[in-house]
Amino acid sequence: MNNKLLLPLMLFTIIGCSEGFNFEFSFGDSKSESSNLEIDNAFASTYAPMNSEPMLFKSANIYDGLGGEFRNYDLLLSEGKIIEIGESITAPGVMVIDATDKWITPGIIDIHSHMGVYSAPGVSTSSDGNEATSPVTAEVWAEHSLWTQDPQFALALKGGVTAFHVLPGSANLFGGRGATFKNVSQNTVQAMKFPGAPHSLKMACGENPKRVYGNRRQAPSTRMGNMAGYRTAWIEAAEYTDGMNKKDSDRRPTRDLAMDTLMGVLNGEILIQNHCYRAEEMAMMIELSKEFNYKITAFHHAVEAYKIADLLAEEGICAALWADWWGFKHEAYDMVQANIAIIDQARNGSGCAIVHSDDAVGIQHLNQEAAKAMAAGNRAGFEISKAHAMRWITSNPAKAAGILDQTGSIEIGKDADVVLWTGDPFSVYSRAEKVLIDGALAFDMNNPKIQPITDFDLGIIQPQANRVQ
Amino acid sequence: MKKLFTTLFLLFLTAPVISETVLLKGGLVHSGNGGAAIIQDILISENTIVSVGNNLIIDGNTRVIEVNGLPVTPGLISPMSNLGIVEINSLDVTRDDESELLSAGFSIFNAFNPHSTGIPWNRSNGVTSAISTPSETSFPIFGLGSHFILDGSLEIKGSQDIAMFGRLGASYGSRAETLSLLESLLDIGKLANSMPVEEILELKIADQLELQAQDIIALGKVVNEDMPLVIETNRAVDILQALAMKQKYDLNLVLESVEEAPMVLDQIKASNTPVIIDPMDNIPNSFDELGSSLDLGKMLDQARIPIMFSTQRSHNYHLMRQGSGNAVAHGMSYETAIKGMTQTVAQTFNLDNRGSIEPGKLADIIVWDGDPLEPASFPKIVMIEGKLQDLSSRSSKLTERYTNTENKPSSYKH
Repeated sequence: MNNKLLLPLMLFTIIGCSEGFNFEFSFGDSKSESSNLEIDNAFASTYAPMNSEPMLFKSANIYDGLGGEFRNYDLLLSEGKIIEIGESITAPGVMVIDATDKWITPGIIDIHSHMGVYSAPGVSTSSDGNEATSPVTAEVWAEHSLWTQDPQFALALKGGVTAFHVLPGSANLFGGRGATFKNVSQNTVQAMKFPGAPHSLKMACGENPKRVYGNRRQAPSTRMGNMAGYRTAWIEAAEYTDGMNKKDSDRRPTRDLAMDTLMGVLNGEILIQNHCYRAEEMAMMIELSKEFNYKITAFHHAVEAYKIADLLAEEGICAALWADWWGFKHEAYDMVQANIAIIDQARNGSGCAIVHSDDAVGIQHLNQEAAKAMAAGNRAGFEISKAHAMRWITSNPAKAAGILDQTGSIEIGKDADVVLWTGDPFSVYSRAEKVLIDGALAFDMNNPKIQPITDFDLGIIQPQANRVQ
Repeated sequence: MKKLFTTLFLLFLTAPVISETVLLKGGLVHSGNGGAAIIQDILISENTIVSVGNNLIIDGNTRVIEVNGLPVTPGLISPMSNLGIVEINSLDVTRDDESELLSAGFSIFNAFNPHSTGIPWNRSNGVTSAISTPSETSFPIFGLGSHFILDGSLEIKGSQDIAMFGRLGASYGSRAETLSLLESLLDIGKLANSMPVEEILELKIADQLELQAQDIIALGKVVNEDMPLVIETNRAVDILQALAMKQKYDLNLVLESVEEAPMVLDQIKASNTPVIIDPMDNIPNSFDELGSSLDLGKMLDQARIPIMFSTQRSHNYHLMRQGSGNAVAHGMSYETAIKGMTQTVAQTFNLDNRGSIEPGKLADIIVWDGDPLEPASFPKIVMIEGKLQDLSSRSSKLTERYTNTENKPSSYKH
């Protein structure tokens, strides 16, 4: 069939870490020369909340994202913060929203997104998520690829997503830095960046790096080649870190972007987000982290996490998982729908389970994915409440993104990132009615004026109308 | 509810899975024909539904299963799957959905593996039969899909080569070329009515298109024998082109994906063309589908266009429940959702004896533990042709192994 009349289809699928990919381009090493830039301030967030006015939700049902459930409670937001939660709050002069029979949850957070780096439409010119030109590209930053007009952001917002972590893809052993964003429409990346959120470093185990580079007859082409690649890089990073710590600045090494990132991990400033499916590979990565004295924050995709649930709980490592994806590759063969629940319940319920998407459709329905995972866990014999399962898409991903102090739960003093749902947030029939980010209405189901339409969406099909109405 | 489960479990332990007379008593029955659900009994004898109603007369040998108001639907039918022909997508050696030699006439029927792990998984999630299809190729027609009964029996059960699958849309070449290629193929199908295949094979055009005898015979069935032709297409004008082709060649056309259908509802409706959609795919993944939205299901439903459901994710065809549930959340009717997973598929693909809970139909029936459109719901009973099915799967085995707290290496927990 290869010699038939038409060339292969042009439809580039959006490449998450689950998909196959094939890149055949390369360009020169672009590591920059030494610079005196203050590392911490480069590309810093310039985010400023949208204007908001105080808002009082009356008679709401609330999941606080920490396991708590409050029926018929009031919630007061002001100056972008959560001010008060109580059975009967009065606040004269404040806008009151009747939330009777509705539910309020923290804003949904996705710890694994490629929005903006694999934007829609998924064409080659928007394929900016995998610097698949070398197995170690710790020097690249996902935020430097981000397209602010990706129409997927607004779709995720309609699904209640107020913050998301954008990672590079999984072609490489070290894919580069990830960053966390508020789901706000802005024309610069810095204006979307979640203030104060740490960077992450994306690492990838298993099939993807060995396939991408093995196909090019270069290392790594095996899982042992993957391990050798990580260790070699960490040895260099440890030497670099020692060098950078020298008192005499003249004896410090020339600045190296990749090594800066690895040093950030060794110094505990950059969080490891590790794409890894198989149980023994995750255990191997834990050994690796001990050899070089760094911490793994979360394993992602982790289809076999349930096999080492106790180990992950003991090590304090989160597992960011799908509810039911499987079969698309060999390391995703042993799927169990109770995976998330088993992680959650490990070691007397001390596990850290996260429902993630890695997918522009999935990110819009993380509540439904959590519902499936909870039901599967309960069928497997656990007793997991909805209030508890809400943690999987709010406070737990906030913890793994390093932003739990600011968001991820409904607690006094936290950012007013909240969602008002039309009904039970675990039901397929419920929709996000209002989505607030720092107390400002970012989406309102009933008000077309408060539904973001990106530049891309504007008049793209017919000049008189927008893509999404 | 827990009690029912225990009862059923005991039934499995004590009774061999054989056909007999069974009464499913007091379920909230969604017949699949588009009507509202009502509490009814279903009497099944051997492999067939005998009667549906209240106060049905039964004899002493009838096994009565109390359903206690739980929702009951026909077994779900996936209109487009890779069940039984793809084990692991990234491993070509586990895939039987592509042909190097054939195009329109490529049949996957004999490649079907009833032991593929996807089958018990989908069955335990409520999918009792599925149409499996060849994968997309660079050619606009990929081949023939077959319908398979997912009861795991080694003897392949189903209907061979019931529909042809193809695609119209963006490629490296111009879609104008794709259209003319499709027309050339259909012209050859027309010729197959009046000319022996051997003579068609000698035509220059057949040679240029690298057609084999099987391809020509299959194209003849699409043009002359009303075999459904399923065309994946999204852009509004492409949908119109496909409808024009339907009219020109008098095709039994089914459109798939149709993300820009809301712009051409009247034309689709006027042509009596059923559609297969993934209601959750609202991403403008390509410049062909800029009009995609979560309102697709509602718009098609309001135009009374017959709807069926596919899912974006391979291996989980039961997720059409979640997809159609989301469509209902955005305005499609509940009955259309149930019908779209059952009777509409049967009617579209001429699976005459399935797809609804009515006397005379084969007893493919699911009893659910909750609303079948809620993603958290799960089957309590799966019946295929009157036989109660085991709900275990490789996935359930792994779950049991790793939730078993016995202090032994996992390999000893089974």
